[in-house]
Amino acid sequence: MNLFGRNDKPGEARSGEVKVGDAPANDAKTGDIKTGEILDPAPPKPHAPQAMPMPATIDAAAKAPPSSTKPTPAKTGDVMASVISKALKITGELESTEDIQIDGQIEGDVRGVGVKIGQNARVKGTVYGDEVELAGTVEGRIESKKVTLSGTARMTGDVFHQDIKIESGAYINGSLKPDMGKPDSRASDSRADVKQASSKPASASIVTPAPKDNATATAHH
Amino acid sequence: MLTLARKSPVQGTGHKSAHAAQAEAPASFLGSRVGIRGVLEVDGELVVGGHITGRIAAVRLVIAKGGLVEGDIVAREVVIAGQLNGRVFAPSVSIEDGAEVEGRIFHTNITVARGARVSGRMPWRPASYFETLTTLPEVRT
Repeated sequence: MNLFGRNDKPGEARSGEVKVGDAPANDAKTGDIKTGEILDPAPPKPHAPQAMPMPATIDAAAKAPPSSTKPTPAKTGDVMASVISKALKITGELESTEDIQIDGQIEGDVRGVGVKIGQNARVKGTVYGDEVELAGTVEGRIESKKVTLSGTARMTGDVFHQDIKIESGAYINGSLKPDMGKPDSRASDSRADVKQASSKPASASIVTPAPKDNATATAHH
Repeated sequence: MLTLARKSPVQGTGHKSAHAAQAEAPASFLGSRVGIRGVLEVDGELVVGGHITGRIAAVRLVIAKGGLVEGDIVAREVVIAGQLNGRVFAPSVSIEDGAEVEGRIFHTNITVARGARVSGRMPWRPASYFETLTTLPEVRT
């Protein structure tokens, strides 16, 4: 076994390895990172060059250095979607606020917006997303508003969904539960109502001058 | 060429298929809005534009501008243009302009571009060190 070998033996776990859920001894910062924050990496730079239309000269100058070091996956086309290739195995949790294509192996939860799980991909854990397309294997759970199980899909576990499409040939061992997100949306609606209700009188009392309000208030009494 | 050793039979089969497909398989790419916590193992190239907390083992690793890795990296070649907080174990290391690196870089060949910020040590090791190294050295506090 050499340096590049996978460290599969549980006995070989070292303090140097970073495990999900506990902070490495040498790095206090990582301990502070919560899953929610992972999605907001400190430098907001990366979005800028892609999204913002800039004057051509500045744009070219700004883009040149990163593109030389960043071999963009040309095959994925327009926007650089994240790709987890066949060769990649992840043990841990993955979060994404952009679309993601999974062709490799993941042991752990996946949180994404649009998640495409390719034919040879394998996920052990829960897949959360707005839209999940499964052509590979999932052992665990899918929680997504829109779920597509293609003919090659192999799903072991429950699927929570609002909208589901199952192609002929898909293997499902588990139950389909169509209530995904509905209690949530009600809850958020009611919360919004509460907010509006509570904010209106508050703002009214702040904005409107006192005398009139007092007058009406006393009139009511 | 250094080979990737596999232990379990499940991974053995995965290894074969991965190799067969490696020619046409695109590099793994993690965009700026992707965050991963855990261990990443790649039989090829990995480009990180997002935030990774954990250990990475790859053949070639690129931390793109805007990318952030916190943890140890083991690879044959590492290119850093983003941020790294952790250790690198790679025979070939390249630190690009604008990179921010904190930690230790074990290398045989290294390039550091003007404009890179590096704080930490860069111990040289012979190429054989990387071939014989089976587990990562303990962290010295």
